[in-house]
Amino acid sequence: MTDVDSPPPSSGGAARIRVWDLPTRITHWLVVLLVAISWWTAEADRLEWHRWSGYTLLGLVLFRIYWGLVGSSTARFAGFVRGPRAITSYLKGGWTVAAGHNPLGALSVVALLVLLVAQISLGLFAVDIDGIESGPLSLYVSFEVGRVAGHWHCELFNVLLGFIALHIIAVAWYVFFRKQNLVGAMVHGERAYSPPLPAPVQPASLLRLVIGIVVAVAITWAVTRAFKF
Amino acid sequence: MPRTLFRSALVVALLIPVVHAATPVETQKARHEHYEKLGKAFKAVRDQTSTDSPDFAVLLQSAEAVNEASINQQQWFPKGTGPEAGKTRALPEIWTKPADFEAAQKMFSDRAPKLLAAAKAKDVDAAKAAFKDLGGACKNCHDAFRAPEH
Repeated sequence: MTDVDSPPPSSGGAARIRVWDLPTRITHWLVVLLVAISWWTAEADRLEWHRWSGYTLLGLVLFRIYWGLVGSSTARFAGFVRGPRAITSYLKGGWTVAAGHNPLGALSVVALLVLLVAQISLGLFAVDIDGIESGPLSLYVSFEVGRVAGHWHCELFNVLLGFIALHIIAVAWYVFFRKQNLVGAMVHGERAYSPPLPAPVQPASLLRLVIGIVVAVAITWAVTRAFKF
Repeated sequence: MPRTLFRSALVVALLIPVVHAATPVETQKARHEHYEKLGKAFKAVRDQTSTDSPDFAVLLQSAEAVNEASINQQQWFPKGTGPEAGKTRALPEIWTKPADFEAAQKMFSDRAPKLLAAAKAKDVDAAKAAFKDLGGACKNCHDAFRAPEH
């Protein structure tokens, strides 16, 4: 993760800049995979698998939040979440190019993360109509509250799907109309920029990565055990 | 003539409360409430069997409720209380394939006593296994005789 491309000296041409580090990319695509698995297992009534899929998503989202606080430069919330003024300025074309999310895309990241946290939390407390299948934390709530959580777990998924659709449409728009291959960037981590070249991603240390994984796994494990040890 | 009609109507009206049996819609509503209670009992069993220090009084009470329901449910589906009578997830197959439906109900009433026995013996592992088995009986019947939620 140290293979930072240096901009070609005084060439004036386009250059490939490393934008996303490996942990951010792996997390992104695992979330995609696990949301799909969660959807399918819910539809197919495979609740045992659905729970495992949800637990994995919980771990991934926890790690992503941690990485948004102390991870690589482009993954950090402080680095890309901006106010309305920056968003307007971006829309008017007055944005200084920086590697990573633009001010508008940041909204998409925040919205999707918040929705995922809400969706997973509801699932942890959800109880099915027969009281047979339930999330690991449902033993702390009544049947009625568990049913309400289950109901919203079901409804909120449609909202999540809507935001995922919006995210995909936005990315497709960049790919087809602005010729910016954002999908490729999230796969291999690099994007082509023309000058003025932005600073590439500053990776975080391996130690921070290990701590993040350990913390995310530990919290997830505790949740699956309903904090009973 | 109108007088006679009025009298007959009065007699009928007075008789209604005497011979009143549950209407199909009332039966559906009661059935729904029975299953909701069963759901609560199942949740309590699940809660108590997913901890290392279960409340055996709650477990026993819930296992008894489950066992009772497994016997009583055989009375919960009189003819005429299907989708034709009102909003219900009970499928017409309950009444068109009575033998299959009875077999599905019997699976439930055969397995429920095992949970009760485990609760009485305060055997958490056996209760866990019996609960899982019961879940299978629920699913077996629901897959064939209950309409999907949406």
